Amino acid sequence: MDDVQVRLMSCFGAVFPALTQKEILRADHHSVGRWDSVASVTLFAIIEEEFGVEVDLQDLPSLVSFATILGYLTSKSTA
Amino acid sequence: MKLIDALRIVGEEEDRELPVVRWDLVCGFTPMHFQTFLGAHFRRACASQRTEIKCGLFGDFWGNLEKLNGGNVDSAIVVMEWSDLDARLGLRGLGSWAPAALPDILSNVEARARQFLPAIERISREIPMAICFPTLPLPPVSFAPSWQSSPFALEIRSLIASLSLDTARIKNVKVLDPQRLDFLSPCNERFDTKAELLSGFPYKLAHASRLAELLTLLTYPPAPKKGLITDLDDTLWYGILGEVGLEGVSWDLEHQSHMHGAYQRMLHALSETGVLIGIASKNDPQLVKQALAREDLIFPGDAAFPVEASWGPKSQAVERILQTWNIAADAVVFIDDSPMELAEVRARHPEIETILFPKNDYQALNDLFYRLRDLFGKSSISQEDSFRSESIRRASSEALVQPSETFLEQAEAEFIFDFSKEQADDRAFELINKTNQFNLNGRRLTDALWQSFLKRANTFLLSVTYRDKYGPLGKIAVIAGRVQRRAVLIEHWVMSCRAFSRRIEHRSLEALLRKFNAEEMVLDFELTSRNAPLRDFLTELLAGEPTPQCEISRGRVLDFLSKTLPRAAEVAHG
Repeated sequence: MDDVQVRLMSCFGAVFPALTQKEILRADHHSVGRWDSVASVTLFAIIEEEFGVEVDLQDLPSLVSFATILGYLTSKSTA
Repeated sequence: MKLIDALRIVGEEEDRELPVVRWDLVCGFTPMHFQTFLGAHFRRACASQRTEIKCGLFGDFWGNLEKLNGGNVDSAIVVMEWSDLDARLGLRGLGSWAPAALPDILSNVEARARQFLPAIERISREIPMAICFPTLPLPPVSFAPSWQSSPFALEIRSLIASLSLDTARIKNVKVLDPQRLDFLSPCNERFDTKAELLSGFPYKLAHASRLAELLTLLTYPPAPKKGLITDLDDTLWYGILGEVGLEGVSWDLEHQSHMHGAYQRMLHALSETGVLIGIASKNDPQLVKQALAREDLIFPGDAAFPVEASWGPKSQAVERILQTWNIAADAVVFIDDSPMELAEVRARHPEIETILFPKNDYQALNDLFYRLRDLFGKSSISQEDSFRSESIRRASSEALVQPSETFLEQAEAEFIFDFSKEQADDRAFELINKTNQFNLNGRRLTDALWQSFLKRANTFLLSVTYRDKYGPLGKIAVIAGRVQRRAVLIEHWVMSCRAFSRRIEHRSLEALLRKFNAEEMVLDFELTSRNAPLRDFLTELLAGEPTPQCEISRGRVLDFLSKTLPRAAEVAHG
């Protein structure tokens, strides 16, 4: 597991404390019942704070799962 | 604190047995992360309580304030922002910023200010409140450039300053100091435009955390320290007394030693608020006595007690001072210009807070003054603060250290036993929260829990005030608890260490029996690392070691009082 993935898992764990590590890796806004708009705002606030990035508004609609967010952050860090 | 850490703290499993304190957070923005930070800071500040924070409707500051009912919550935090005074003072509202609109905005702010005060007066009669006035930069509503103060902006700020003053004067209300917030959270790093427009949350995370932290300090203030022990040479004054002599030491601009004068002024101010000031100096005692008699000292030498001047280790001097004051090391601050002396004292008294006097660092001196205010700060000054030092001086006389029966009989003691809950002042609350040695269980209370306790119908509060021919001690003991049928359940019993050895605890028991004609007393005793004096008293009273929830019959108390107080027999017929 690379550093970005570990830190992102930590962000998900803080917002969705009931999820196991395996569940976090598969998490998306359909499968996680508590992933509502408030949780989204909190999740992205934590991600922005943790990774020192600002998530672009136009990217938000596609960032609906752990995998897509991980891909987004990885591309930002290598860009 | 980062949001991820705050979420983890808030999400930790809480002990369901802890008493719950219900907070109402009144604001006009969506509280979101601010509520999380507040919950996390509360939890860190007070692990012995579980906090529940209730919030009102988004965008309805005034409705939320009006709906706030002291009967449903234990305490309230009010966070006002500019847009709560007039929506045009925020970014979400699109009302006009045209010059013609400015008088109307001002008029709205004035009307809101008039509405605010009566609401706070009403609520604060029921519950304690912490209030924060606008923290965000005022938006550029006026036509003036941002570097020029516009009459519009000045008038709005003046209205809020005046409102803050009137609010801070209301009993039961504390107002956050904007200057302290300025120190911690730079003004231009507070407003989060994106979060405000997308989710109605106006704060950047760092600002939200710092604001929550300060509001937590306002509501769960740390216990103020009680005593300060200071060094003399190169600390209270500039120069080594033994080398430069009486006239050689200085504390003025002329000798470039003004920082020591400023330090003396601070010590004097602290001593006038009831802080005990002692001196520990490696010096010739006679020389020190003469130096402290200099009339030009800013901190009058006779305001320090005791003065421990010797060539022995400072830790031993500190030990003797602590014994004289009869307070624990963790209630004391020790200041010296020598890192070695600080380390030596710390090694022997690890609980003491040691501070290096910054004799070569002017900026650090200013920081020290703020730090001392925080360590010793209190919301109000009580009558007891004014004679604390003097009563310790008297108590250190041999007669009072080991009082004889004759001495006590001739002391002309006068007691006032006050059972009124309604007029309870801050002193009873303060005593419960700062007394360690004669303390039934060491339990501390928040403002909210205390007010809630006083409001309950079956609770009682006994405040004991004492004076004798040697002078007043003021309000020095408190017993609080509940009455159930003919039983008195004592939940808090504290007495200032200045009041030891005067049979005040005996007289207090006697007063309780008289008042409630109780058949039984139940003591919510808990042994702490410090309450040995109270444990010893109870051991004598019970003729055995006290246990949690120990019960004592009226007969046993009377028997005890008759042996220890000549007049106690009267209680049996009272």
